[in-house]
Amino acid sequence: MNRFQPNKKRRQLSHLVRRAFLQLFMLVVSAAFLLPLYTVINFSLKTKKELYLDNPLALPHAWFFDNYSSALDRLHVGTTFLNTFLYTSVSVFFLALISGAAAWAIARNRGRFFRFTYVYFLLGILIPFQALFLPIYIVGNALHLTNTFYGIILMYVATGLSFSIFLMTGFMTQVPVELEEAAQIDGCSIYRTYFSIVLPLLKPAMATLVILQAFAIWNDYLLASLFVSSSSLKTLNVLFQQLFSTTSSNYSTAMAGVMISVVPISILFLSLQKYFIKGLSAGAVKG
Amino acid sequence: MPKPSFQTVRTAQFLTLIVPGLLLFTVGLILPMFLGLYYSFTSWDGYTKDFPFIGFDNFVRIVQDPHTLDAWGFTIEFTLWNTIIQNVLALFFAVILDTGLKAKTFYRTVLFLPCLVAPIVAGFVWQHMYIDVLPGFGSLLGTKINFGLFGKADTVLGGLLIVNNWQFIGYWMLIYLAALQSIPAELYESAVVDGAGSWVQFVKITLPMLAPAFTICIVGITAGSLRVYDLLVSATGGGPGRASTSIIFHIYNTALNAQQYGYGSALSVSLIVVLLIIALVQLGYLKKKEIQL
Repeated sequence: MNRFQPNKKRRQLSHLVRRAFLQLFMLVVSAAFLLPLYTVINFSLKTKKELYLDNPLALPHAWFFDNYSSALDRLHVGTTFLNTFLYTSVSVFFLALISGAAAWAIARNRGRFFRFTYVYFLLGILIPFQALFLPIYIVGNALHLTNTFYGIILMYVATGLSFSIFLMTGFMTQVPVELEEAAQIDGCSIYRTYFSIVLPLLKPAMATLVILQAFAIWNDYLLASLFVSSSSLKTLNVLFQQLFSTTSSNYSTAMAGVMISVVPISILFLSLQKYFIKGLSAGAVKG
Repeated sequence: MPKPSFQTVRTAQFLTLIVPGLLLFTVGLILPMFLGLYYSFTSWDGYTKDFPFIGFDNFVRIVQDPHTLDAWGFTIEFTLWNTIIQNVLALFFAVILDTGLKAKTFYRTVLFLPCLVAPIVAGFVWQHMYIDVLPGFGSLLGTKINFGLFGKADTVLGGLLIVNNWQFIGYWMLIYLAALQSIPAELYESAVVDGAGSWVQFVKITLPMLAPAFTICIVGITAGSLRVYDLLVSATGGGPGRASTSIIFHIYNTALNAQQYGYGSALSVSLIVVLLIIALVQLGYLKKKEIQL
């Protein structure tokens, strides 16, 4: 047995070296990925003088929070933040409710109409709304939906439905039919069964849906910029782009604005992280 | 009148559950699609009440208009590079993070974080990366590389690819990671018993088992890149010149700035056709691969 020892030792050593190299490599990669985020935080705390004179990588001498108050002020955060928040939460609420109901109906019925409906909804995944933004905008205009609170929410719900129904229908196989049948025998209507039996069971899928759609809507620029022009209805992203596009010299304020827009969605992500990863991998696993 | 059967009532009730979604989807997406198809045969300017019918003129113009061809050129190049780089790197990092590395969760979070940032914001941040931060980094190291990638027509594509990959590698990596972790360990164990090395294991077990993840990632990245817009608005404004004008950006300019709604609609129709063809070809090919494996 002895003659195998050196070989084994060498293998262990090369294994260790490879480990150390990988560890180092990932550290460098992480640093590179974090550099822009570091820059945002760093710039958001610098005075204008520090921004122009110091090396951009250098930390500020003292934390300069005035950028945040001027960002709150210039971005009309009281209005735009509330708008973005309301568009996102109301749209996501209706998306969850409507797509859950439709997906349940599709999953529990074998009729030709239901199967057709499913394929019809899936069309929206193959044809993303960005490709249709022009006619969507024209229809929105014709129906007087632009520049209204409910108009933009209707559009977000309509454009998010396909993916939501796809996600929900996939999850339906995990909802036990027995409970529904029991409810049916007890004389529950379809509606009561949906609200008091199915909906509670859908919670994990709902969490996935909420986070994926909340991301899409919170970060959207195209639809928001098309549908809203009156300043009382603008979103954070739209006003941000208007204020801080290319030529702005006041980018420390802008970076504070970036923080204001990124932090809420990050909190949502952290609190629902496990559902998010589950939702992402749905379908990616060979079953 | 006979009382409707229990089953009929139930089916009818189920139908009412679909109606809200069906209505919204039809008005919000399908109706616009058909209207867009109609407008694409007109020279409508977006304001007048009449829609002058001009047949296939808009579509003939698409293949002759140099601006449109440029926009398609940029979009296709952006999409091709993205699909290749993003897939390779996402799988690469997923494989690394699937080993017994220390601080895996930390790396995973770091790689994923950028996708929380809105593309419109990411474009703005990277402008300052290229103009301020990277040159500052260079001066610390004593080099004078020109980092202004957004400023020149021949580097703007590379600059944008870096931003887009920085944003989304982590997202696709998570999908590959989930797929990797679902591969049963017994497969590798029996391969080791059969004397297969790690490269053979990767090619013969890992890659085939990843087939569904490949389908999702390839189709997802392609479709996502073909509709790039937000990032361009803040990063380059479609420039320098028209060097980074994507097809959606071009539709926006044509319709909303130049008031050519008819031509813009024809461009939308062409984009939809391309999206559908690519998705169906990719899905058909990749699904066939999945079954074979």
